[in-house]
Amino acid sequence: MPTLRVNGEQREAPLAARGLLSYLRFDLGLTGTKYGCGEGLCGACTVLVDGQPLRACMTSVGAVAGGDVTTVEGLAPGAQSLEELHPVQRVFVEETAMQCGYCIPGFVMSTVALLQREPHPSREQVQEALGEHVCRCGTYVRILRAVERASEPAGEPARGGGAS
Amino acid sequence: MSAAGDEEGGAAGATEPAGGLEVGGLAVWGDVTFGIPDRLRASYRTTTYFNTTPDEQMQRWLVVRPDGRVAAFAGKVEYGQGVRSGFAMEVADELRVPLEAVEVTLGDTDLVPWDLGTFGSGSTAYVGLQLRRAAATARRALLDIAADRLDLPASDLECADGRVMAAGDPARSLGYGELVAGAPHREEIPDGDVDLLGPGEFTVIGSERGRVDAIGRVTGGAVYSRDVLLPGLLYAAVLRPPSLGAELRSLDASAAERLPGVVRVVHEAAVEGHSALAAVLAESDEQAELAASVVQAEWEERPAQPSRWDVPQILLDSARDTMVTQEAGDAGAGLAAAATTFEGTYYIPYISIAPMEPRAAVARWEAAHLTGGAAGEQERLTVWAGTQRPFGIRAELAEHFGIAEARVRVIVPEIGGGFGGKSIYPLAVEAARLARAAGRPVRVALSRVEETQHSTFRPAALISIRSGVDAEGRLAAWEFTASHAGERALIGRRGSESPYTAPHVRVAVSSADSPLPVGSYRSLGAAVNHFAREAHVDEITAALGVDPVEWRRRHLEDPRYHHVLDEAARRFGWQPAVSGARPDGRGVGVAVGIDVGSYVALCVAVEVQGQEVRVERVSAAIDCGLTVNPDGVVNQVEGGIMQGLGGTLTEAIEFEGGVVLNPGFARYRVPRIHNTPRIDVSIVGDPTVRSTGAGELGIVPIAAAVANAVYDATGQRIRELPLQRQLQPVAGA
Repeated sequence: MPTLRVNGEQREAPLAARGLLSYLRFDLGLTGTKYGCGEGLCGACTVLVDGQPLRACMTSVGAVAGGDVTTVEGLAPGAQSLEELHPVQRVFVEETAMQCGYCIPGFVMSTVALLQREPHPSREQVQEALGEHVCRCGTYVRILRAVERASEPAGEPARGGGAS
Repeated sequence: MSAAGDEEGGAAGATEPAGGLEVGGLAVWGDVTFGIPDRLRASYRTTTYFNTTPDEQMQRWLVVRPDGRVAAFAGKVEYGQGVRSGFAMEVADELRVPLEAVEVTLGDTDLVPWDLGTFGSGSTAYVGLQLRRAAATARRALLDIAADRLDLPASDLECADGRVMAAGDPARSLGYGELVAGAPHREEIPDGDVDLLGPGEFTVIGSERGRVDAIGRVTGGAVYSRDVLLPGLLYAAVLRPPSLGAELRSLDASAAERLPGVVRVVHEAAVEGHSALAAVLAESDEQAELAASVVQAEWEERPAQPSRWDVPQILLDSARDTMVTQEAGDAGAGLAAAATTFEGTYYIPYISIAPMEPRAAVARWEAAHLTGGAAGEQERLTVWAGTQRPFGIRAELAEHFGIAEARVRVIVPEIGGGFGGKSIYPLAVEAARLARAAGRPVRVALSRVEETQHSTFRPAALISIRSGVDAEGRLAAWEFTASHAGERALIGRRGSESPYTAPHVRVAVSSADSPLPVGSYRSLGAAVNHFAREAHVDEITAALGVDPVEWRRRHLEDPRYHHVLDEAARRFGWQPAVSGARPDGRGVGVAVGIDVGSYVALCVAVEVQGQEVRVERVSAAIDCGLTVNPDGVVNQVEGGIMQGLGGTLTEAIEFEGGVVLNPGFARYRVPRIHNTPRIDVSIVGDPTVRSTGAGELGIVPIAAAVANAVYDATGQRIRELPLQRQLQPVAGA
């Protein structure tokens, strides 16, 4: 039986062939990771495996055995208020970077990975990191603003304003 | 909060006892059809999927609890439009309580007032206003109770921050909770005018408050229909027809039934009024899918179905049920007498709604003894479904199973995008049929490909426009002839009327055969009709050598159009020029529009390179009357523009033989983050004018504004969407 860590907790998965997305959602009840397309094309199912963003719909539990999986629920466990959120979650709330919100966990996870790799990404780096995510409500202007805000050096005031 | 094992699927307020028995507290009841015009009420009952009728009895809209918190109830649903936040703001302001004290329960048929459905931007316009009236009624009642307790005339009291206090003496005050503790009070919203706050008195309405439900959307705590997991749940894999209209002839499930985890294979033959249903039920989603893949099913497919290439001819040949939506003078004579005439035919293909969350439903039957029902009482059905029409789906379920609506509860969790498409929700009945057959709760969920193939589409349309101007360049005649696919005539008629002053006008809209099923999509036909009209106006102005903003100013009468047009042009920095005069790869375009009573103007700047159109900047100005939640409105307009760019530039459904050929995101290209222009949105509405919708404003004029900018950039007049398919490659700017 493959073992893996999910949000810091050691788990034994019954089946190596079990899809990671189904395992997280239905076996562990971590439904914050969403199904959007099943083809790795929309990003709604993005989780971090050893810090790297991965499309959970395109991989199996066995393929990430021994790995450290973080889902959106693992960023700030139990957070109920703005202050308790992970900084990336917080900027999405502050910029109201959401409408229906279904795609947002995926955007949040890819943003967390991007900012770990590159704390001050250029607009092009942001677009590349989030380019294979779909928000059908079209909140990209706000998502860009949120990522910009999250990547500002500490102490500098938020720039806000347009999406450029 | 995880949804696993959460009995109530996370629906807010689900712990509330059904039926509205109040223990202490102040409950406000009222009519459910307040503000809905009679003509609409009539049409509600005559259009095919509006199968639900208003409850005649008073319904509970608002409760002030003994702990001082306020519960508001509405039959609308939240699919991203921010309606929960808007309602909370309206109630908080009108009742003078902190926003955090208000909880809004939506879309649970056991708890909320009856509602037709969430579409057509009716939430703020009607239900929001009714909630304000409920809150104002409660405020009045609280003042009266406090007057009694404080022994002061109500006119000497004021409400603030959840308390009633003596004017000028805040020390003499009582909290709302204290006022309503003890025996329950019941108030009714008066039929006539209610004393609502005026624009100068708002402290919450019109302010920047974000979303009241934002945190759950970034933590994974928000529960959507796909996330509803119940104890003992079975996962269904439904056998879907391989092509449109295919019928199941036979089924051999012997191999599937032997696979691990499979509980049973259901095959219900078609009976009168109900289609056949075949599905594998298993303990896990993957077991169900695997087993379904080895079921031997024989389908009888419809022969010789039209393909996408046939659609324009079908629209031309089968146009019928023509309705003249606007007429003045004699368009034919006006055209004959015009100094110059113009003619253009515009084609808009089918597009997919493609919400991020493919539809899902969970159904559970309970015997009476489990729900505390009386002996002999029948079972109850609960269905969780991400539909825009909970009461209509309840009616469908009740009718299907021949049980009273009171025994059916539809709970709408969060919805991952709807845009009109989730009014139709056959999965609710499917899940309930399977749960009944299995004796356990069942979950049905569509894959992305299924969501596209087994959905409705925005109707294709073919629109011909003939226009004429007099010797001074004034519009003399306007003839707009549209044929929209499908029987739902209201879709095509929406937004077909021209706002431009002309002595001779004829606008005629027809229905036509549709090879694909059609349904609602953001603004119905308005975005489609506006594309043709506003693109055609650009052709006139270019030929006349007139600035397109100036020409519109000269021909628009309604001052609300002028406000949005002037503001968009100002914010954009519009330089008067003739469109297409110097095609150099960069261009600007303008379009105006109206939908659900709200006004919009867009100015856009594009850069065209090769076959790619980059929309760089959009300035939008909108007027939706009183703006309750400005940031929510801006979010809607930005989103409508972004979504509209898909149908403008890249999206079109390809189909052949009843099969969609591009059902996934690989070949159906929707806008991504790198397609995002800079967008600025100005709100110019008059706060004394009643609120109208904002959800459609972005999408309505965007295709024309971009097409006009592409002409300005390239000299190519493209009359067919999506633009990038028709664009001849051009060298870059």
